[in-house]
Amino acid sequence: MAIDLISYSLVPLFAALIIPFIPRKHRRITEIIANITLLSGIINLGYVIIYYLVLNDYTSYTSDAFTTLMLFTIYLVGMAITFFSTYYEVEKDTNFSSYYSLILVSVSAMCSLVMSRDFFTLYIFMEALSVCSFALITSDSKTFSIEAAIKYFFLTFPASVLIIFGISLLMINYGTFDFDTIKFTSMNFLTFVSLSFIILGFLIKAGIVPFHFWTPDVYEGSYSPVSAYMAGIVTKVGGIYAIIKIVMLLSSYGFGSNLSKLLLFTGFLSVFVGAIAATVQKNMKRMLAYSSISQMGYIILAAATFSPIGIIAAVFHLINHATFKTVLFLNSACVEKSTGTTNMDELKGLEHRMPWTSWTSIIALFSTAGLPPLSGFWSKLLIILALWQSGHIFYAVAALIASVFTLAYFTIMQKKVFFGKLPEKFNDIKEAKYQLLIPVVVISLIIIFTGVFFNRVFPYFERILS
Amino acid sequence: MNINFPLDWFFIAILFFTGAYCMIVSRNIIKLLIGFEIISKSATIAMITAGQATNNMALAQSVIIVMIMVEAIVIASGLALVVKSYRLNGSIDIKKLMNLKG
Repeated sequence: MAIDLISYSLVPLFAALIIPFIPRKHRRITEIIANITLLSGIINLGYVIIYYLVLNDYTSYTSDAFTTLMLFTIYLVGMAITFFSTYYEVEKDTNFSSYYSLILVSVSAMCSLVMSRDFFTLYIFMEALSVCSFALITSDSKTFSIEAAIKYFFLTFPASVLIIFGISLLMINYGTFDFDTIKFTSMNFLTFVSLSFIILGFLIKAGIVPFHFWTPDVYEGSYSPVSAYMAGIVTKVGGIYAIIKIVMLLSSYGFGSNLSKLLLFTGFLSVFVGAIAATVQKNMKRMLAYSSISQMGYIILAAATFSPIGIIAAVFHLINHATFKTVLFLNSACVEKSTGTTNMDELKGLEHRMPWTSWTSIIALFSTAGLPPLSGFWSKLLIILALWQSGHIFYAVAALIASVFTLAYFTIMQKKVFFGKLPEKFNDIKEAKYQLLIPVVVISLIIIFTGVFFNRVFPYFERILS
Repeated sequence: MNINFPLDWFFIAILFFTGAYCMIVSRNIIKLLIGFEIISKSATIAMITAGQATNNMALAQSVIIVMIMVEAIVIASGLALVVKSYRLNGSIDIKKLMNLKG
């Protein structure tokens, strides 16, 4: 563990321990504690990151800069979800004190996960994160959410067994599983098998295509803010982060040509199956889930090049994905709250009644599809450049074609939900409360600024991942 | 390092496939959980074998104790989920959970 950053993980944990002792009638106090805890963390981390971004001076920066950036992303999405759920109509059955406490515990688990410096700590916190997230999925106690949680349980927990197998094979080979003391001196068969087991486990946890069956069901069935939380950060940190970490570890020793082919192929499959399946969906949340699968395929493609620019692209796309997917899922939650449905065939012309939701979702979808001034364009450009430079020209072209599909399905979604003539039955609906729009607008501004000031952002990424 | 795979690995494989078979064929969610528990146990034995092969039982034991704790929490929360599902649907048949479709 990175000891100097450990307070970012311990403070949410203590707050989560305090929350169950607050009496149920003081609901405001619970919400204030949860929000203040995450807000203080985000101000702290944001100061550190913006300080270096603005000054452009990295002389006093430590090697933990990557961890700091991941912590900032986790706090950002966690804060957005907590603030959103505070004003989102909580159903009567929802146990809000356990809800906030579970969100804080899972933020703490994610922070510990990105701080971990060996495979076993990674495994423990991934399990803690999974347990928290399937408890969170069931927070509205409906039939759908219980079903989603059961599917999530049975389709992802066998992955942890595979990870343990991988870790024990790694231990036979090297006697330890510390990131710093393992020396990948030669890529023998046993190392290959053990790393394949570990990567397979994390691919299942992340929901990449051959193992993606749980992803749409979980994102569709769970409580709406929770599905934004799951898609935005939980599956990224719980699955993709570990794969990027393994890639960074291996590329520093100059190995990974065999694993590269495996990862490239799964990434390619994921990009295409996700994009094609998303074009035919009828439910908005389900379509966003397939889009999430497709975007995660891009991250895997970038990481699979095992080159420095590929790793920069993967991390940058991971953070971009956390921002724009959170915006889109929160918008779908707003739409669901206003109209009572997420079925895209019933929705039409909401632009006239919900202009803020419509415009923020346009920003997020243009960023996802990779239109120039926004942050998603730069990360996709870096991904395609990395693939081209490392000689995988077929995959570079495929990534380019799939990004056209991305624009296609998002345009279909925007047209069906927000454009067109407003039907009679939606005449009296209103824009969501302004408190619900604050997190969405703030994250949209982050998307725009990251894209416009890319000349400042890129040296930062280059520096922290060198 | 010369590794001769001891007999343990055959037991681990047998346990793993027993648990996997149990998870594939049964429809009862409790039986699925039992199958999951069996494959977790095979992972535990794999860790013991790894510790024995590298003469580092202290590390392996500490890892296994934490693993058992993690498994207990996972299974307990899984059972809580089964109870919640039974109260809502009146059944613990996994094939009846087919409401979410694309």
